[in-house]
Amino acid sequence: MLKYENVSVSCGHTPLLSNINLTVNDNTITTVIGPNGCGKTTLLRALSGSCTVTSGKIYIDDTDYLSLKPKKRAQLLSYLPQIRGTIPTLSVKTLTEHGRFPYLGFTRKANAEDYRIIENSMNLAGVSDYATQSVDTLSGGIRQRAYISMQLAQDSSYVIADEPTTYLDIPSQKDVISIYRTQKELGKTVILVLHDIAQALSVSDQIIVMKDRKIIAADTPAELLKQHIIEDVFGIQIKEFKDEENTYYLCV
Amino acid sequence: MKKNKPFTIFIILFIALVAIFIFSLCVGSVNISAKDILNALFGKLIKISSSNNEPSAISASTIIIRSIRLPRVFAGLLAGIGLASAGVVLQGIMNNSLAGPNTIGVNSGAGFFVMLAMLFLPGKLWATPVFAFIGSLITTLAIFLLAYLGDRSRTTIILAGITVSSFLSAGINLIKLLDTDISINITTFLVGSLAGINANNLYIPAIGIVIAFIILLFLAKALNMLALGDEIAMSLGLNINVTRFSLLILSSILAGCVVSFAGLLSFVGLIVPHICRKLVGNDAKLLLPCSALLGGCFVMLSDALGRVIFAPYELPVGIIMAFIGGPFFMYLLLKKKGGRRLNA
Repeated sequence: MLKYENVSVSCGHTPLLSNINLTVNDNTITTVIGPNGCGKTTLLRALSGSCTVTSGKIYIDDTDYLSLKPKKRAQLLSYLPQIRGTIPTLSVKTLTEHGRFPYLGFTRKANAEDYRIIENSMNLAGVSDYATQSVDTLSGGIRQRAYISMQLAQDSSYVIADEPTTYLDIPSQKDVISIYRTQKELGKTVILVLHDIAQALSVSDQIIVMKDRKIIAADTPAELLKQHIIEDVFGIQIKEFKDEENTYYLCV
Repeated sequence: MKKNKPFTIFIILFIALVAIFIFSLCVGSVNISAKDILNALFGKLIKISSSNNEPSAISASTIIIRSIRLPRVFAGLLAGIGLASAGVVLQGIMNNSLAGPNTIGVNSGAGFFVMLAMLFLPGKLWATPVFAFIGSLITTLAIFLLAYLGDRSRTTIILAGITVSSFLSAGINLIKLLDTDISINITTFLVGSLAGINANNLYIPAIGIVIAFIILLFLAKALNMLALGDEIAMSLGLNINVTRFSLLILSSILAGCVVSFAGLLSFVGLIVPHICRKLVGNDAKLLLPCSALLGGCFVMLSDALGRVIFAPYELPVGIIMAFIGGPFFMYLLLKKKGGRRLNA
């Protein structure tokens, strides 16, 4: 279980979030949604260390997460930020190998088990065919999966990604979502920031709705829909369509 | 991808390094044959074994080789290793392919402090490398500070480097005006030269460069992580502040040590890493040794050519390097970007 207790977060010297309380249960998919600039990314950056937690505590199963050493943290929780800036000239396999960094040290080099995990991660992310290709020559969708492959190689219980589907075409978005669904089936706890509300509704066990740097609600999709919270926050209407198996959502 | 490609490149570079090393020992105002070089290098052993029956065994060529050429060739090798690997590190920690000991002002910083050492502590052998290290460290820190106070962008880092660099150049020129009797030849110091180096100037910098380079090889993995961007490096569990700072100290030692005996050699630190990126890819584990080998080759060869082209007159190695390196780098920049290589 991941738990924020009265957490305040600053980026640089600017306080961005204050007194956040939040609980994420194990083996679920939680998504964070909210208008641009509402603090979604900051909420997750508190975990990665790129923003500073100024007060409050973050617990993972009664462990004070922020008091752990960086490598220990990385073994417990992987965070994939939005990929911006220059893309390194690395093969997909080399990129994935970086995911094993938290487990390596001066004395411990990558062994057969590490390479098994690396291969497995590339399979799960569907990039095995691109293993020797350079990341900067790949299309956006495959590149995103290559980075996810690195994240999976971290083999952490908590798998967190900031807008992993943004800027991708629909098939690539589906690929990415299905990778994280598989992670849940493998027993991991997944937290994603998503911009597509319909996607969030169909994939999540819990949705955290944020607005103006505050958490408005954190509940199951069904409960949020019943109370029209998402519709109020975004000023939209949500239509539901059902067939035999699934429910589909349309935001208008 | 052929796995052995970097290996082949390393073999070729190593052979080239040995060949250039021997060539550099042969040529100069007096040409010395390879046989005499072997005699000069290993003559001592022979002399000891054949007892003391021939006191005049040390010939003129032996003296030239041992006390003039050998230190000078080693100086070229060390300068190449130091500057090229400092360039790799600076490009890595600043995440900026334009960074190099010269472009961001680290060299000027070291140079300014070397001038101070000459001014206030003339004749002290330890002072030059130590001051050079302090100078390059202070400069790098100042640039980091400026960039962090600003928007931390790549442009800001380079602009901060240019600003600090010109500030320090002004300092160098001021000292030059104030003290015309300073014990080094300012012009050759500013372009970089290996003339007149003797072994005594080399011991401390050599130890510094070798140790810093070895430690650097252990930090290659961390350097690779920084290339992924700070956020990813952090979420993979790298302590980026400690890593950056350690790498910063190492690059300052490398660049500072070189400046202390060779002056403000430009170009090596910028272009050698770039050429090596094309040869072996961006993996620092390969990039660092490759840059060290190529850097050594480049400086030794340029120095040897400087001694040969207008013999018996000498051209400072800095001038030769700029003449060779500049156009070659242009060619690399303009060449089609295709055929990227991987480090798989």
